[in-house]
Amino acid sequence: MKNVLAVFIVLATGLFVVLAWFQSGGGERRQMRSASTPEQAARFLLSEIQDRNFERAYEQLANRSDVDKKTFIREFNGSDGSLLTYASLETFDVWGLRTDAQEASVRARLHYTTAVGPLDDVRDIKLERRGETWKVLWPVNPTPKLPPQVIPVNYLRWDVINPRDGDDWGVQSVDSPQVRIISMNAISRPDSVVLVGEVVNEDSVPAYVNVGATLLDASGAELAQESSFDKISHTLLPKQVSPYRIDFPNLRLERVKKVRMDVKALLESASADPVIEISQQKIETDPLGKQVLSGQLVNESGQVVNIPHVIAAYYDSNGKVIWVSDGYVAQALLPQVPVPFAVDLPAEVAKNVHSYRVVVNHFNTTAQT
Amino acid sequence: MLTFLSGGKQITVETSYLSRPVPLRFIVLLALAIHGPLLALQVPFTTSYDANFHVFFASHYAHHWFDPWNPKWFAGFSQTTYPPLSHQWIALLSYVFGLRMAYLLVQMTAVLLIPVSVYRYARLWVNERASSYASLFSVFLGALTFLVYSAGQLPTTLSAPLYLLAVPYFYDWSRSADVTALLKGLALTLTAGAVHHVTLLFGSILFAFPVLWLAIIDRGEERSSLAVAIRAVAFAILAGIGLGVVLLPYWLAIIRHPIRQMPIYHASRTNLLLNLDYLTNYFFVPYGMLLLAMPFLVWYGARNRRLRPLVLGFWITFLFGLGGTTPVPKWLLGRAFEILTFERFTLSAALMSLPIVGLLAERLVDRYRRTAVVGLALAALVTVILPMAWLALSPFTSSANLNVDPVDAFLNRDGHDRFRYLTLGFGNALSKVSTYTVANSVDGEYNSARLLPEFTHYGTAQLTSAKFFGTAGMEALRMMLRHANHYGLKYIFIHDSYYEPLVSFAGWKKVESYDNGSISTWSKEDVPPARPFPSDAMPTALEGLLWGTLPLGCSILAILFWFLIPDRARLRSDMLLSFPAPDREGALVSEVR
Repeated sequence: MKNVLAVFIVLATGLFVVLAWFQSGGGERRQMRSASTPEQAARFLLSEIQDRNFERAYEQLANRSDVDKKTFIREFNGSDGSLLTYASLETFDVWGLRTDAQEASVRARLHYTTAVGPLDDVRDIKLERRGETWKVLWPVNPTPKLPPQVIPVNYLRWDVINPRDGDDWGVQSVDSPQVRIISMNAISRPDSVVLVGEVVNEDSVPAYVNVGATLLDASGAELAQESSFDKISHTLLPKQVSPYRIDFPNLRLERVKKVRMDVKALLESASADPVIEISQQKIETDPLGKQVLSGQLVNESGQVVNIPHVIAAYYDSNGKVIWVSDGYVAQALLPQVPVPFAVDLPAEVAKNVHSYRVVVNHFNTTAQT
Repeated sequence: MLTFLSGGKQITVETSYLSRPVPLRFIVLLALAIHGPLLALQVPFTTSYDANFHVFFASHYAHHWFDPWNPKWFAGFSQTTYPPLSHQWIALLSYVFGLRMAYLLVQMTAVLLIPVSVYRYARLWVNERASSYASLFSVFLGALTFLVYSAGQLPTTLSAPLYLLAVPYFYDWSRSADVTALLKGLALTLTAGAVHHVTLLFGSILFAFPVLWLAIIDRGEERSSLAVAIRAVAFAILAGIGLGVVLLPYWLAIIRHPIRQMPIYHASRTNLLLNLDYLTNYFFVPYGMLLLAMPFLVWYGARNRRLRPLVLGFWITFLFGLGGTTPVPKWLLGRAFEILTFERFTLSAALMSLPIVGLLAERLVDRYRRTAVVGLALAALVTVILPMAWLALSPFTSSANLNVDPVDAFLNRDGHDRFRYLTLGFGNALSKVSTYTVANSVDGEYNSARLLPEFTHYGTAQLTSAKFFGTAGMEALRMMLRHANHYGLKYIFIHDSYYEPLVSFAGWKKVESYDNGSISTWSKEDVPPARPFPSDAMPTALEGLLWGTLPLGCSILAILFWFLIPDRARLRSDMLLSFPAPDREGALVSEVR
């Protein structure tokens, strides 16, 4: 009888540990490792990628001989300073599309956390049966190799000289560039108020631009104040137009009586490089059934663009801006290599879209000095 | 052994050091010898997570003793949300020694109090010699080393020994109605509570209940167990009232703004078995070679009636220290599970294990003599060295040692302090920046004091480490940057290029860089100067006065009681000596050899 307490403590501790192990997904993980179904095999591969065990993920591929390991790792780890180099796979969902005796395909939605916000990617993954387990057949995408060539640099460039060393950027005793809001449209959304429009730099020098707005109620009291944040191209070259969007979450349009717009403009050093061509734009439905504006970007300069940011303005038949959407592109833009993009569009807006215009903003690791 | 006749009476005394208790003075000196050099080298400031944080709090008290409203973080927050005593002692000593040295002195005091308190606590359970071994081992505790040099949890490491010192008085009062014990116990309890509320809250259950049980067992036939329990309840009521008064501004702050923010991820809450790094960090490192003693601890402790309360208390505390590895903490704590971090319980569990470990050591030394001493010494050394080695090997690195002088210099010149600032990638060096600048930040390191929606609506800790909290962290950061104009947030200091794309797309421009570009300053020009935000969390002048006087007063009272009121010798029953059964025959045989 003297040993009852000791035995109880040992057994209870063991029981608790086993219980918590199952609760925290230990059993599920063990089952997943068996890869006895296509979904389990895909989950196992993605969980290894999530844990950044790229070597072990590569080991799960059925067609290792066809897939270069470095290329495979680059697909998730990124390269050339792209957004994926600032990202990690946070969660994923996998569901089956088709399964027969030897082959199967599943769809995976990958949710990345990145330096600029969340990023979602949808992939269809093929698998084949190897004995009792399933293995992933990874698509073979050969990396485009461009021939050596010379690209002349003849773009315009503007520098700003500060009179005194040590002055803060923006402390300039000169007139601000002439910048004007050319359109503004207040839109009611189920859970927010959204202001969309466009702003133009009417000056002959580049401008740093930021658009802010304050919503006022009937009594003139301030309801909310927000800015365009990253839904604008902050650097505008002469005569350049940028869409902007300002979100006011948790607000109803009926409460808003007046909108006070505020556009700030400052002189800024800028260059017309890199030139990014936008082509094959079209509104379509993606595999998840959402409306998107898709297309491709081609970097026509000789330098790599690390993180492209696409901002699209949508117009109705009267030429009025009815929506602005944006999205970051996961891949870097290598010179002359087309890269696809897609930005979301609410379904109820898509049916009223008559035309659209896309601008590309970018971040380069070397450009910030 | 030496046997001689004295006054016609035959007396036997131990002559071997191996059979006598280790003097407490020697143990304290040993603690000084081990931890003194490490603290003199300012190791907590280079490797720990929270040392700078505590210095930051202390710095505020040093400048504004009676005004706990600190505008430097979160656009203003109340320091009454954290018990102040350890910070106030640092602030007080900083007038003579400076902030960093004062911190180290207070931490040294905590380290020296540990063996003293363990000795007194162990004496409740085991004999003097085993208690002295327990005290000796406490100097080498991995959990202590981990909390001091890696976690930087000064209040936990100071509060725990204070509470351990109070517990024997609670025992004496409950068992024998010793009024001086009541006074000293209450003073020490209030002092421990004024240092760290969480340690006290859980200590009162995990430490006190086993001792109450012991007091009932030891009460003797002349006292009723009901009387013991009533006295214990009286102690608890008086301590509760005392803590209610001493920490009144804290309770008011909690009532005004209960912690309702989104849970913030912490590795100590996960199932440690699913991640080897976490398992090492929160299990192997804090316990070290104590793990080898645990089977003995449970087996022998559970067989002895007097030790059973201790074993049960240890077991529950041990389960708490395992975080999410068992469902027990979540069952018992409910939502509080998502607020607490569980590494601190490893110290409590280790401290509770020491009396029985002391017994184990006594038996081993009696049986194997020098071989046992060498083995135990090696085990103790491995236990204390493991956390230090882990500091170097661990994948979790602290940024405490980052040179932030250029950042402070920038903020303190040319009126830059008219705006708020944000650091990104600074980790726990944020507190160091904040301590030495007059400018205010929208970020901060103390999660429980945050009231800004940009923090409370997302499950993230400090924005400076936003990327480690995934989408929640980055969304909180995006939200804060969106509201930059509202908060007067103009300057951002980046020590991790990960954050540069977001800051750049949001309209900030790089204006300066330091340390070969490892830190860069970014500025946004359309931001208006910061303005103070009125808050209902701001303590009143009376609260500031109470906060500035009562906690420190308690500690002074406890010190006075300690030195001025002598302890009464504790009446001990024979049953205390019956376990472990003295192996006199074995000792004689051993001596004959």
